[in-house]
Amino acid sequence: MLRRIATPALLVVVLGLAVLVPWLGDYYVHVFALVFINVLLAASLRPSLTCGQLNIGHSAFMCVGAYASALLAKHFAVPFELSLLSGALLATVVGLAVGYPSLRLRGVYFAMVTVAFVEVVRLVAAIWVSLTRGNSGLSGIPKPNLLGMILTTKASQYYLIVFVTVVALVILWKLERSRLGLTWKSIGMADHLAQSLGVNIANYKLLAFMVGCFFAGVAGALYAHFIRFLFPPEFGFLVATNILVYNFVGGRDHFVGPIVGAVFLSLLSEPFRGSAYETIFFSIAMLLTILFLPGGLITLPGKLAGLRWGRAASAPTPSPTG
Amino acid sequence: MPLLETRDLSKHFDGLAAVNRVDLTVEEGEIVGLIGPNGAGKTTCFNLLSGFLRPTAGTIRFDGADITGLRSHRIVKRGLVRTFQHTTLFQEMTALENVLLGLHLHSRKGLGQVLFSRRPFPRAEIHHSREVLQFVGLSAHLDQPAKNLPHGHQRILGIAMALAARPRLLLLDEPVTGMNLDESGRVMALVKTIRDRGTTILLVEHNMKAVMGTCERIVVLNFGQKLAEGTPAEVSTNPNVIEAYLGAGLEHARG
Amino acid sequence: MTAALLLQSTIIGVSIGSIYILMALGLTLMFGMMHIINFAHGAVYMLGAFVIYYVFFQWGAPYFVAFLLAMVLLGVFGFLVERTVYRPIKGGIEPTLVALLALTTFLQAAGYPVFGQLDKHVPPVFRGTRDILGVMISSERLMIIPVAGVLVVGLYLFINKTRLGAAMRAIEQDKEAAALQGVNVHVVNGLAFAIGFALAAAAGALMAPIFKLDPMMGEQPLLKAFIIIILGGLGSIPGAILGGLMLGLIDSIVATALGAEPAFLLSFVFIIVLLLFKPTGLFGHAP
Repeated sequence: MLRRIATPALLVVVLGLAVLVPWLGDYYVHVFALVFINVLLAASLRPSLTCGQLNIGHSAFMCVGAYASALLAKHFAVPFELSLLSGALLATVVGLAVGYPSLRLRGVYFAMVTVAFVEVVRLVAAIWVSLTRGNSGLSGIPKPNLLGMILTTKASQYYLIVFVTVVALVILWKLERSRLGLTWKSIGMADHLAQSLGVNIANYKLLAFMVGCFFAGVAGALYAHFIRFLFPPEFGFLVATNILVYNFVGGRDHFVGPIVGAVFLSLLSEPFRGSAYETIFFSIAMLLTILFLPGGLITLPGKLAGLRWGRAASAPTPSPTG
Repeated sequence: MPLLETRDLSKHFDGLAAVNRVDLTVEEGEIVGLIGPNGAGKTTCFNLLSGFLRPTAGTIRFDGADITGLRSHRIVKRGLVRTFQHTTLFQEMTALENVLLGLHLHSRKGLGQVLFSRRPFPRAEIHHSREVLQFVGLSAHLDQPAKNLPHGHQRILGIAMALAARPRLLLLDEPVTGMNLDESGRVMALVKTIRDRGTTILLVEHNMKAVMGTCERIVVLNFGQKLAEGTPAEVSTNPNVIEAYLGAGLEHARG
Repeated sequence: MTAALLLQSTIIGVSIGSIYILMALGLTLMFGMMHIINFAHGAVYMLGAFVIYYVFFQWGAPYFVAFLLAMVLLGVFGFLVERTVYRPIKGGIEPTLVALLALTTFLQAAGYPVFGQLDKHVPPVFRGTRDILGVMISSERLMIIPVAGVLVVGLYLFINKTRLGAAMRAIEQDKEAAALQGVNVHVVNGLAFAIGFALAAAAGALMAPIFKLDPMMGEQPLLKAFIIIILGGLGSIPGAILGGLMLGLIDSIVATALGAEPAFLLSFVFIIVLLLFKPTGLFGHAP
């Protein structure tokens, strides 16, 4: 019974806290806006990871979405709702172009295509100076012009990010709980077996990949119109690995894993933001979690409960051996 | 017209023939056994028939159509379903979820259904999965994670999943290996019931008693080639077959 | 581009290629044996360079002493990393890759407070330039070629002529079979880590007098080594050598003509195409 109300209650509390953040001041608004964007990025990678694909280049699609939305708004005064959608769709199309030929590659080869690809995107952004202003960075990105209203304050932009992220998470949650999500899980667990039941592995993996690209593109657009300055090295290999890390540190076995990982690592590094200590703590947290909590942070409550009760907290009673 | 027919089916690995010009037929409604010593090529045959391996030569016809070289998910669509000896299950999922996955080809997958309906799975699919589990005798274990089931139940669950895919021809890969007398008896009885309900069966097994007691026709492979074919009585008295097995399994079965 | 410039670019390309070969060899060796991509390789390169900075430049030890020290220290470090990071991780390749990423991130970030915020420079060991076939090449760059050559030959001899090298080849072929034949897989894996790290440190140490030092200096060489091992074939040592030379030449010649970033972009596009059509690269064997 407690479990039944615990989850919705927790959600309400979290959302309530999220809504109250602007009262803490602009600094915290900035911090938490980025936390929500990281959450969205981490959650968007999850379908691919569930299928068993190691994608180390996810930030490439964030980059595409960010630049597309920024340029459409800046040069053509496209309203935010359209530029966001365009950015996300472009990211998805690019994902299709990369994913379709690559998905038949096994494990580590696919991972390497993603690493190469994220660098390709970063380099294109850096070289195509006439479009993106290259490594000088793209500035002057307009504030979000949403449904006719310009969101001028950081707080209003923050609420936009929270809203879009929550909607995206709901969609991703529904996908995961459906037959589609179960099929993705089956591919990640035992793809031969899934195939023997008629699952077209390639199509499902591609779909997971494209869903991820779409939401990464959304995150990119949100980022572009919040920070209002884009700089190609921000979307390179190291950043892409962060998204992967949020998933691993949070836990890959549950939907909230990437959310927990993103929140934990983003906030942990925040007090040290700008200094090298940010990354130091970030990487130590990563290492410790991988070494000592291989299931991720979400396994922590279970382990603590186990310590308290003196045995594994949720061991099912084994059936009598036939 | 036979339900399944192979002609000159061959598979070579680096010049070595794992399966060499095998002609196999299975008529609708039969239970056919595929036996042979270790390394005879039985599993390779299954992999070829189910599309997990491409033949180096030869053809496979199923239900009148040429399926040679088709990918496995397309072959399943036509009604040819197989089980595996190893990794037969999605271990972390419940028995019910496993069977639900078996229903993959016969399920509704619209985007609207995914995003806007209250329940993740239509009631009909859950009902049907329960029915399959009831048919194989696993109703009591619906919500158990598959990895917690005892070995015998796990193999039966594997069969249940394959059944959910509505096979016309079911390839069973070592369904009773590792089971005791009681269990194997029950599973082979289940196999007969499955056939009686309209599914043709081709099975690979090492357990000779099970094979001789259930199959109407047996094909013997050795070194990738067809060695003999016939009724259990014919095969078990065939001197070539006895020699291939050095008498071990067959003696046991006849006794 | 004039003939002289082309010749100069070519020789410099061989010099750069030698560095890349050293980086790629360690990476491909570790992949062949353990099927992991060592993302920490770039950080090790950086550390090798910093050892030169402190031991050679700050403390005044002879260059080759510092060089050997860099290789030994980081080799030992590699052995320890195998013990503390690689071995304890169950659950496959992915957590290992993430752990190595964490290690890299840590080392690179820790570099800033430890080494300071400003870029460092190491003065050249071999001053002056030499005239090779009519063009002038810095002696420093030239020196790299024979040193790298010695290391490559040393590695070749080790792998092919020693017992431990044979053990490595056995593990690469079939880990279980090697274990059954009495090979201590853990120790040999540790050795592979040690050798890989030592070679990466050597690469960094050789480049220290040429470019500026900063904690992130290893990231580019890592990505290039990455390109090379795919080009040459994962796990193939001849592939790493040939690939390293090729990329060194491309980098030098194409970069001189078009600029560093377009050259980089071209090489990445090239390997994506390669991965799609021949993932095993030039010499790799199909998995």
